[in-house]
Amino acid sequence: MSRTTELSSAGNRVNPGGVASSERKVDVSTSSKQEPVWAIEFKKICKSFGAFRVLVDLDLKVQPGEKVTLIGPSGSGKTTVLRLAMTLAKPTSGDIRIFGESILFDQAGTLLSSAEEARIRRRCGMVFQQFNLFPHLTVLQNLILAPTTVLKQSKAEAKESALRYLRMVGLEGKVDAYPAQLSGGQQQRIAIARALVMKPEILLLDEITSALDPEIAGEVLDVVRRIARESGVSMLIVTHEMRFAREVSDRIAVFDGGRIIEQGTPEKIFISPESERTRSFLQSVLNH
Amino acid sequence: MMAILEYWPVLLKGLWITVTVSLCTIIGGAIGAVIIGGLRLSSSTAVRVATMVFVELWRSPSALVWLFWVYYALPMVTGTRINPLTAAILVLLLEASVYGSEVVRSGLEAVNRGQSDACYALGLNKSQSFIKVVLPQALSQIVPGFGSMARTMFKWTAIVSFIGVQDLLYVSQFVRAQTFETTKVFLLLAVVYWILCLGVAFAFRALEQVLPLNRALRAAQASSSASQLGDNVSAIGAA
Amino acid sequence: MTWDWNYAFEIMPDLLVGVWYTVVVTLASSAIALSLGLLLAILESVSTTFGRAFVRFWLEIFRGVPILVLLYMAYYVLPEYGLNFSGMVIGIGVTGLVYAAYSSEVYRGSLITIPPELRDACVALSLSPSVTWLSVLIPLMVKRSIPALLNYVVGMFRATVFLFAIGVPVLMGEAQTAADRSFRYLEPYTLAGCIFILLNLPFIYILSKAKADHV
Repeated sequence: MSRTTELSSAGNRVNPGGVASSERKVDVSTSSKQEPVWAIEFKKICKSFGAFRVLVDLDLKVQPGEKVTLIGPSGSGKTTVLRLAMTLAKPTSGDIRIFGESILFDQAGTLLSSAEEARIRRRCGMVFQQFNLFPHLTVLQNLILAPTTVLKQSKAEAKESALRYLRMVGLEGKVDAYPAQLSGGQQQRIAIARALVMKPEILLLDEITSALDPEIAGEVLDVVRRIARESGVSMLIVTHEMRFAREVSDRIAVFDGGRIIEQGTPEKIFISPESERTRSFLQSVLNH
Repeated sequence: MMAILEYWPVLLKGLWITVTVSLCTIIGGAIGAVIIGGLRLSSSTAVRVATMVFVELWRSPSALVWLFWVYYALPMVTGTRINPLTAAILVLLLEASVYGSEVVRSGLEAVNRGQSDACYALGLNKSQSFIKVVLPQALSQIVPGFGSMARTMFKWTAIVSFIGVQDLLYVSQFVRAQTFETTKVFLLLAVVYWILCLGVAFAFRALEQVLPLNRALRAAQASSSASQLGDNVSAIGAA
Repeated sequence: MTWDWNYAFEIMPDLLVGVWYTVVVTLASSAIALSLGLLLAILESVSTTFGRAFVRFWLEIFRGVPILVLLYMAYYVLPEYGLNFSGMVIGIGVTGLVYAAYSSEVYRGSLITIPPELRDACVALSLSPSVTWLSVLIPLMVKRSIPALLNYVVGMFRATVFLFAIGVPVLMGEAQTAADRSFRYLEPYTLAGCIFILLNLPFIYILSKAKADHV
């Protein structure tokens, strides 16, 4: 707990909710005055698949605008954290709050209706390891599908903002291409743009370079660095790229066996980690 | 041969009945298949089990047994006779739906899980993601499957002659009895069925061409071979 | 009209004769289809010009014409050329030939999925072509084809109903004879349907087991 408050100064540097609508921000900050409103808050989360416990009593808080990276050996539950935040999976126990609102229960403690859940979920966007672009749609169609169907934007409006984000990821020339015509790196940049057109306040990046060749991964990471620098979106990142994690994060949480074993600024984690397990994990990945 | 062709109005009428029954069966069956296929993937266990029991019960006896049962036995219970054409279309349509449902189910299951995850992450609801993303991709598997289902069902329409529907087979038997040209009548019959069956296959192959995913993959293929060509040209230029 | 148990029991022996014929026809045509299909697939693989053309032609013919029409053709046309066979023989033969075409497709599919390195290994061990086929390729082909072939066996089992059209006393034929004799349609056809469902139960079990083994 003390660690997170200590780190909050790092989060405050970035203008919170810069991508998000200001209306929502006001709404949240007035609703709870004394407690700080976390962009996302995991409260005592447990998640098991059968007898296998993926997450054990997880507590994790992300400030608005803060960039938090989860690192750790594979199978330590990092991806599950992102899937829980996106409500792609439900925790076995515990609660998850997005800007103060639970994505599981309403105030009476009963399960949220799917419409309510969808409303809260809309503040999150996710980019996947396997891109998951829609192969039957062109790049532009991929980008305007959700804005036109979910946000009910007009086609012209959606197209305009899609083009803006395509320029941002440097692929405005690929508007009419199909995903299969693009390289993996290009596909992932499109996938990032597709998540951004929905103007998420929290961006979940799930091993976005793991399916890419190392020489191509750089172009994707550059895009993410720029977004991290220029927008106030909160980020929850799972990655194996340690250099990237160090550059982009305000805070790093080290996972092992379904628990956070250590968290702190990149400097602290990479230069003077407290835990022996952190040290051995970093050694194993950095020597690779 | 001339003797047979003198009966062309009868033969044409039979052809018309066969085509009508086939079209009703194939189109109705495709719709029924999507419904039953969807039910088989329902999140409710009761619905899933009930659908599966129905599917297995239906396809244990062949469609011919069902046809006789619906046409002869069912009226004994209900007390009302059924028009043979109605009975024929009803049975064949259900048969097509049951067989097609397997095609639909496996087609939907073949769509990558990540696609619905991505829809979910973008905020699309279940029906939006089904209609805009999952189904268009699944169609690339479903349509070829429906193509072979349609050919099978087209051939099965021959059974309707048993309950007196005057289809191609029925009128051919009639012409054979009139002309005694057994070999020629049956050869003609086989050729006509064969050509029509080919027509069904062609129709479905044409349909495959316009499917969104197939169009996208074709575009990708064209551009990759074009870029290869470009590479070769530049290689030649460099040399 | 209500269900008459006495009548149902009365026709049971006849229906059981039909079951016997149905089983015999299914087994006999399966034997033809599965072995002839294998031969066709090998022929197509060994002779890529003539063999392939022949098998394709065979397949296209039998794929496009209803079994019922083929049965009538064989039953009524062959005697005109002095070839007299019983309905039983024609039924088994036609069903077997049609499904041989389908089965050859299945075998061909499994043959394609056998990695070419395996054939290279056979050459490297200087196995003769016949040994390569008999002790390596065919066992693999057959093993990989089993689930799909079982589906066709079920298909033949269902196709046996057509044989009543050419006078073979299969289950459907017996039911129809009984129905026409008594003008009671409910019991014979309902019983026939129930018997089909019962006979199909082992197939459902075997198919699900084969699928599970295969995965």
